[in-house]
Amino acid sequence: MSATPQTRDTGRATSGGLGDLLLQILLVGNSFVMLFPILVMGLWGFKSTGEIFGKPFALPNFSNLTNFVTVLTQTNFFGYLLNSILITGGSILAILTLGTMAAYGLARYRFAGSVAIYLFFLAGLMVPLKLAIIPLFIQMRDLNLLDTRLGLVVIYTAMGLPSTVFIMTGFLRTLPKELEDAARIDGASDARIMWSVMLPLARPAMVIAAIHNAVPVWNDFFFPLIFVQTDSRKTLPQGLTAFMGEYTTNWGVLFAGLTLSALPITIVYILLSKQFIQGMTSGAVK
Amino acid sequence: MKALKTLAAALAAATMLVQPIAASAGELKFWTWRAEDKAVYLDFFKDFNVKNPDVKITFEAFEPQNYPTVLSTAMAGDKGPDVMMVRAYGAFEALAKPGYLLELNESNVPGITKFPEASLKGETLRSDGKIYAVPFSTQTMLVIYNTELFAKAGVKPPETWDELVEVCKKLKAAGITPFANGTATAWQNETIVSALLSSQLGKQFEADIVSGKADFTDKRFVDALGRLNDLAKADYLAPSFSGIDYPTMQQLFSSGQAAMFAGGSFELAPFLKANPALKMDVFASPVLKKGDERLVGLYLDGGFAVNAKSANKADGIKLVNYFASKQFGDKFANTLGNLSPVPGVQFTDPMLGKVAELNKQNMSYLMLVHFRYQEPSGSVLLQSGVQKMLAGKATPAETGAEITKGIATYYAPFKK
Amino acid sequence: MADLEWPVGRRIWVATLIVPPLAFMTAFVVMPILSAFVYAFYHWEGLKRVDFVGLKNFTDVLLHEPWAPVTWRAFSHNVMVFVVLMLIQNGVGFLLAYALSRQLPGHRFHRVAVFLPVILSSVIVALVWKQFLHPVFGLFNKVLSLAGFGTFTTPWLGLSETALWALTLVNAWHWVGFPTLVFLAGIQRIPPDIIEAGRIDGVNEWQLVSKIIWPLVAPSATVTFILLFIGAFNWFELPYLMAGVEGSPYGSTDVLGLYFYRTAFGNQSSGAQDFGHGSALAVMMFLFVAVISAIWTVRLRRREIEIA
Repeated sequence: MSATPQTRDTGRATSGGLGDLLLQILLVGNSFVMLFPILVMGLWGFKSTGEIFGKPFALPNFSNLTNFVTVLTQTNFFGYLLNSILITGGSILAILTLGTMAAYGLARYRFAGSVAIYLFFLAGLMVPLKLAIIPLFIQMRDLNLLDTRLGLVVIYTAMGLPSTVFIMTGFLRTLPKELEDAARIDGASDARIMWSVMLPLARPAMVIAAIHNAVPVWNDFFFPLIFVQTDSRKTLPQGLTAFMGEYTTNWGVLFAGLTLSALPITIVYILLSKQFIQGMTSGAVK
Repeated sequence: MKALKTLAAALAAATMLVQPIAASAGELKFWTWRAEDKAVYLDFFKDFNVKNPDVKITFEAFEPQNYPTVLSTAMAGDKGPDVMMVRAYGAFEALAKPGYLLELNESNVPGITKFPEASLKGETLRSDGKIYAVPFSTQTMLVIYNTELFAKAGVKPPETWDELVEVCKKLKAAGITPFANGTATAWQNETIVSALLSSQLGKQFEADIVSGKADFTDKRFVDALGRLNDLAKADYLAPSFSGIDYPTMQQLFSSGQAAMFAGGSFELAPFLKANPALKMDVFASPVLKKGDERLVGLYLDGGFAVNAKSANKADGIKLVNYFASKQFGDKFANTLGNLSPVPGVQFTDPMLGKVAELNKQNMSYLMLVHFRYQEPSGSVLLQSGVQKMLAGKATPAETGAEITKGIATYYAPFKK
Repeated sequence: MADLEWPVGRRIWVATLIVPPLAFMTAFVVMPILSAFVYAFYHWEGLKRVDFVGLKNFTDVLLHEPWAPVTWRAFSHNVMVFVVLMLIQNGVGFLLAYALSRQLPGHRFHRVAVFLPVILSSVIVALVWKQFLHPVFGLFNKVLSLAGFGTFTTPWLGLSETALWALTLVNAWHWVGFPTLVFLAGIQRIPPDIIEAGRIDGVNEWQLVSKIIWPLVAPSATVTFILLFIGAFNWFELPYLMAGVEGSPYGSTDVLGLYFYRTAFGNQSSGAQDFGHGSALAVMMFLFVAVISAIWTVRLRRREIEIA
């Protein structure tokens, strides 16, 4: 999980010319393929269905906001957005709290069984919790958590713990023992050392762990599909499918809805692209 | 036995009289998959409140595709609504069998037994013969056509299959897509079979299937599929029909780009809503030769049921009684354009009247009515079979054999 | 190892740190998974567990009509999707990573661009591409026509020959940024002197990539491969939203995730919920994924150590 070096040069000094030209073409072509559909999605939000069918490539009249107004006023868009924020926020809070607790215990103390417990958490990385949906469903029913936001928070927390323990343990282990010893000599308690000495240093890793989990939780469709039925509790991706059903032949409104749904995370990504990339690939990149 | 039943019913009625008065906080949760009918339902509730002013009903709608899952999940979790729309036949049984629904009979819903038998059948649990929901509408499989486009091409609604082919040919020559139908949405492959082929299959075929005398390799079925296949091969369906999904089909027809739509009577209202200027009419599936009986495919769409565990059964029963009244039936039929099975309903809309007239000669919407109780359901088999056949990947005979083989895994008469 | 001299206070403190997360994992990950194993041995009526039926659900799903043919067809689709994604998603990803590692002008922009789809929800990706692949009004066919390839336009999602591949390509579009940036980090971690040495020895660019860079990056790609493997065998959202729960047309896009979902939760054309067979499917998918990824991890880790 070391920071990916931005500046290290992998020998650009020598080769160049044709090879680089081809690679540049590849990159430009790829970026076009990646961005063009997203761009069109946004542009079509400003068009009427007739314009989309008739003149798909023409630039729209950007002052025509009817589709966006329809989405914002005729559907429960803000409700879905709020639910997504609540559920993602709640899950991340719980994931970081529980994950950091376990990671700190495993990284800073050695005791019988600590390796086994660490491996137990790691095994969770390989487990697609989706496949346990039936028992989870019955469990949530028995806990009276079906069709609640809390139920989703619980499941996402369970899903996010392994990777958080993995990321945080890896980081906390790298912190020098001297810091801890110095604080201990000063008479600080274990809890004090964790809270005031170590955790402030672990903030970058917490950001990585938070992003690593927040993006999949924010985007998840599967668990709300099964666990949440009441419209006022639906998340953004789930609400989107409901409203797509209603406006299925009105492509203008449909693309406006898609654009609005993609907007929040896209803006945050563009502002924090480095942290996003690092966060989402952490675990795969050591 | 009968005495026992009466006793049980009386007991049930008695407990209802005693118990719910306390629980009757006057609130009912109503669930449906008809989000688009919300305004009309709020109006129904207003009607209901005239006589029952203390009952406050909340309306909640869910996506049709997810509704069965949503509902059974909620019921299993004791989080279900008090009164709900339920589907009919197999999907209904999935709810009624575990005991989630309250039994309805003459003592709590007087007059329920006067509903047409075909509609009650859809809400009767086969294992105990009891009714658990008030039927709300039947749906008819038929052909909807655009009268202006027919006039433009100089054709009349066909009576026989050969005339239908002739009509398609002339429409095509006039530059009009004959059928809006496409095959990308799975269930549209089942509706097209019933809408176009019912008359060719015939009531006798249905009887033979149910009694086990015939299966789907029967010549009547295979030949009918073959004729449907010929329509597709002659390019009389929507252009690149294998990629045309349900919303696109609706759009092709309602915007006047295609002349016919083989499907359900439930399309009529949305078509008119999408294009109020649309001039349409309906005809039943064409017969093979003149003089054969002309049939539409018919099924019960669903009913209104009361949650057996509702804390407010008394008001729930009052509400389904309202749903069983002629006052509701008239309004339901004439504002939503649905074919209410409530006895004595008058249809003011001539189109609805016409469909009701066609309904007099019907056969079942076969797979839903008879083979949607177990997996693989006849519907799933027919849908994927026809989709495959129309894509040119299977012959009609192979399709029939594949369907028979699938149903034979649980239906004894098909086992050879 | 263990510090036997810990004061009681510290013991309690460590227990306070470890026990709640451990309990949480046990309750909401381990228990459900173990329960799934138990459930698979029962016959279910709706949401009610009825009779113990031994291995019947498993043998049904693997060997008997009507389940087995669907299971194996779905499985074969998962395998094909995995292989193709391995080639294009990870292959293109490696190529892009190499191109990005050259730090050509604009590489920062390209890096942000390639990762943009990765952060979008499958729902957005699926719905946008479903409209784009519409046979009549879709962007894709219109671009093809505009580019002079009008004869190649076809209902991509409607034909059994193309539907699964269309979905696979959409998936590759969605996720290619992920392996790209994992590989990029791997390439950037190669000590520059190794590459320099190669260049001084006069190896050409192709040999440099295939003989030096790839072998050094491959081990660090372990997790990428395994994640793709897990993803490919749990594939659900994209086919569900683009092809429907039946894997339209006629099952040509059916994958295990869809089959599991409709067995367990039913669908519009058959209300039946069958948790018994559903659990059996889930358990077998789980075992398949867990066993293979465990073996794979161990083997690749070993190789990694040998190389390092």
